[in-house]
Amino acid sequence: MNLTVNGGAYDVDAPDDETLVVTLRERLELTGTKLVCGRGECGACTVLISEEGEPRHAVYSCLTLTVACEGQAITTIEGLADGDELHVVQRAFIEHDALQCGFCTPGQILAAVALIADAEHLTEDDVARGMSGNLCRCGTYPKIVRAILAAASDGT
Amino acid sequence: MARSPNGSDTTTAARRFVSTKVEIEGREETKIVELPAFEPEPWGEEVSLDIVGSRVHRMDALEKVTGRARYTADVRRPGMLFASILRSAVAHGRVTRLDLAPALALPGVRGAVGREHVDGIRVDGVQLFDQAIHYVGQPLVAIVADTQAIADHARRAIAIEVETVPHAVTAEQALAADAPRVRPHGNTTRQSPRVIKRGDVDAGLRDADVTVTREYRTPVALHTALETHGAVAEWVGERVTVWESTQGIFNTRSDLSDALEIPASNVRVIKEYMGGGFGAKNGASHATYVAVVAAKRLGRPVHCMADREGEQLDTGNRPATIQRVTLGAKRDGTLTAIRVEATIALGIGGWMAGPGKIYHEVYRCPNVHTSETFAYTNAGAMSSFRAPGHVEGAFGLECAMDALARALDMDPLALRQRNYADVDQGKDRPYSGKHLDECYAQGAERFGWDAARDRAAQTGTLRRGRGVATQIWGAGGGPPAYASVRLNSDGSVEVLTGSQDLGTGSRTIFAQIAAQALGARVEEVRTLLGDTGTLPYTGNSWGSMTTASVGPAVRLAAEEARGHLVEAAAEMLGAAPDDLETQDSMVFVRDHPNTSMTFADICEKLGDVMIMGHGSRGPNPENTAIAAFGAQFAEVEVDTETGQVRVLRIVSAHDSGRIVNPTLAESQLEGGIIQGIGYALFEQRAMDERLGVPLNPTMHDYKIPTMSDVPTIEAFCVESSDVVANHTGAKGLAEPPIIPTAPAIANAVADALGVEVSEIPLTPWRVLAAIAQAR
Repeated sequence: MNLTVNGGAYDVDAPDDETLVVTLRERLELTGTKLVCGRGECGACTVLISEEGEPRHAVYSCLTLTVACEGQAITTIEGLADGDELHVVQRAFIEHDALQCGFCTPGQILAAVALIADAEHLTEDDVARGMSGNLCRCGTYPKIVRAILAAASDGT
Repeated sequence: MARSPNGSDTTTAARRFVSTKVEIEGREETKIVELPAFEPEPWGEEVSLDIVGSRVHRMDALEKVTGRARYTADVRRPGMLFASILRSAVAHGRVTRLDLAPALALPGVRGAVGREHVDGIRVDGVQLFDQAIHYVGQPLVAIVADTQAIADHARRAIAIEVETVPHAVTAEQALAADAPRVRPHGNTTRQSPRVIKRGDVDAGLRDADVTVTREYRTPVALHTALETHGAVAEWVGERVTVWESTQGIFNTRSDLSDALEIPASNVRVIKEYMGGGFGAKNGASHATYVAVVAAKRLGRPVHCMADREGEQLDTGNRPATIQRVTLGAKRDGTLTAIRVEATIALGIGGWMAGPGKIYHEVYRCPNVHTSETFAYTNAGAMSSFRAPGHVEGAFGLECAMDALARALDMDPLALRQRNYADVDQGKDRPYSGKHLDECYAQGAERFGWDAARDRAAQTGTLRRGRGVATQIWGAGGGPPAYASVRLNSDGSVEVLTGSQDLGTGSRTIFAQIAAQALGARVEEVRTLLGDTGTLPYTGNSWGSMTTASVGPAVRLAAEEARGHLVEAAAEMLGAAPDDLETQDSMVFVRDHPNTSMTFADICEKLGDVMIMGHGSRGPNPENTAIAAFGAQFAEVEVDTETGQVRVLRIVSAHDSGRIVNPTLAESQLEGGIIQGIGYALFEQRAMDERLGVPLNPTMHDYKIPTMSDVPTIEAFCVESSDVVANHTGAKGLAEPPIIPTAPAIANAVADALGVEVSEIPLTPWRVLAAIAQAR
């Protein structure tokens, strides 16, 4: 099957029961996408996905079958920046120290990108609700909220 | 500002090696250490520094926000195989049949590692792959295959039969008269009960005008790091390289060297990035041994990470405690006695991190008696978990202090200030520095502790309350620790030290210290760490020790490098070395700033001649207690109809000496507080006591805080620099913030309801039960 990831086309031979996180990590060696719980509980495997011409939305790649992604464009953390030009959310995460160990960070950033794209005016409560599917054990949440609010206002 | 090491007398020490005491995770060890060649001018409070103390961005942030940071789970080696561990589903018994044939017959399966391959390798006192079963989650055998999916599939194909015997999964079950035997020598540690006492507690209680007695219970809490325990191992001949998600590369090396009976020099352990540790990753784990043994047997690199269920069942926990506490005090609040009887459920093994120690440390009290019984149970072994023992003990001590305050009709903060301890009473010695009084004062001020209560905010079934709690933690660090600092031919600087950055910011902290001591621009400094094969020794990143242990060694290495650099520049500038200063990666003549050279110019001119300095961590001061202190204030809202507790805000004031990077410090403090909120409100390993099976080894059912659970947090450190502790003035602060959070919240709940809830987590049903009981 054909898979479009970060703008590149890949011909992958994934069995029907293979999840997208496994395809990304093991076949394409895009290990920025993290596998933590494997059952949609923590958000670390979040990636962006879109139908041709449609806006990107966030999915848990551990609950997404690869075979269901044919014809869709997938963005992983490795493909978020424009070359060396970081995405505004990546810059905000650095600026506000919105990461510690960094293992949840790719998922947090991609979930934040989708959240910002979907919302008109984000409040702190919107961010807390919108991001509650992404767990961080280091407890970086206060700084993530600040980073997302800053990125949202930068982007508008 | 610091004098040149070359100008100082390097022979002041009559002895080159001295014995010194080092405190690690609350335990004290004696070590013989080398005295550094020179002692630099301490960075006391009066010394103003521009790089140390500044909000430099985390240096590995770019790698982390782009997905380029490669964690152990991400390591891929040519020809690598994947392992999957079969674990016991029952708590106690033995394997009667283990047939691997159905698994080994599957395509892509390359082999297995079983009991016969790991003789003598023990984890937490239990033989790896023991066919006698001691707890749910115990590894029984591992399958190795071309992919993780095949290995996991094959693991499920193994035919296994077990015989069960009665189990004991709680301390009560293990200590019952007819309890099944958990460990061969009995169900308690040999040292149980561990009694620590000073003065005469019975006399102290007789002298008391008021006494309170309470029983507190704390749960089994799970670290739940996002990256599980695990390793990738690759052998070349008799040498093995191990990529490990660990807080201690050198400890992992010695564990492997001991277990495999091979020289430590044949083991190289690498940890570049890790997805959380929190105390559970201090050496080789089951997965490490599986990877290393399988890789040797199969002649190919092997990747073995615990799966999430294995991580939650079998990689350590904060043990459950029961603490019976009696406090005695005079009418004015002066403590006369503290008595504690505690029971700790260790699981199948682990060390004795008990709640007792903190009762001896926080308050001035002449008569203290703690007795701790450590029970073995048929459950996963405990391990250190962020301030082990103190978190559990602080809950009992600080809730009991509030019960005493209510009995005395005294302000809880005033009661704490009344019993302020000026010295370390356990050993009758001074503190190197203690600014807890300022933490109380500044925290209370920012919180508005003395302000009138806003009763108007209490409507309907909602009740608001406020609470305070104190913490102490021996965060002084100590030797041995070594670092090198080198300048490259372009004038850039590298710090080399075999330490670990857990997400704590060590890379950045070390670079700041080196830049400060060297007079370099911090952007020009990089830290290389996490490799036993190429970098000098430091200890584990545990016990809030890294900054205070490694920081002084980094500073000395940078000072020495600065000395060499200045001498080279003196030769080039035709000036005396003593007249030269360094700043912003420039060397210039004092009072003649135009006579200068950049580090890059000097290094370019030197060509391949290398500027390099080495530093070591000297001993801690004799007969001096070193600790970090803090106070936290919590405001909560409790719904008396649903029992739901919501934390509205936390103000957290800490004394950890000089703060190297306030932003990173805040991140650490906020993170500790948020873990403390989880411990107070949600987190507990639920156990089916009849079946002996943990019920929630997932991230959905084991509830860690989400973003929605986080209150307003105001966390800060009071101005201080503890140069009695070490010449950088810095102490640790990773563990301190989690210690007082749960009791501050529980005290606020009691304040809101007028009813004490003496067991955490403060779940809605516990809160409702306490309200009902009080009616």
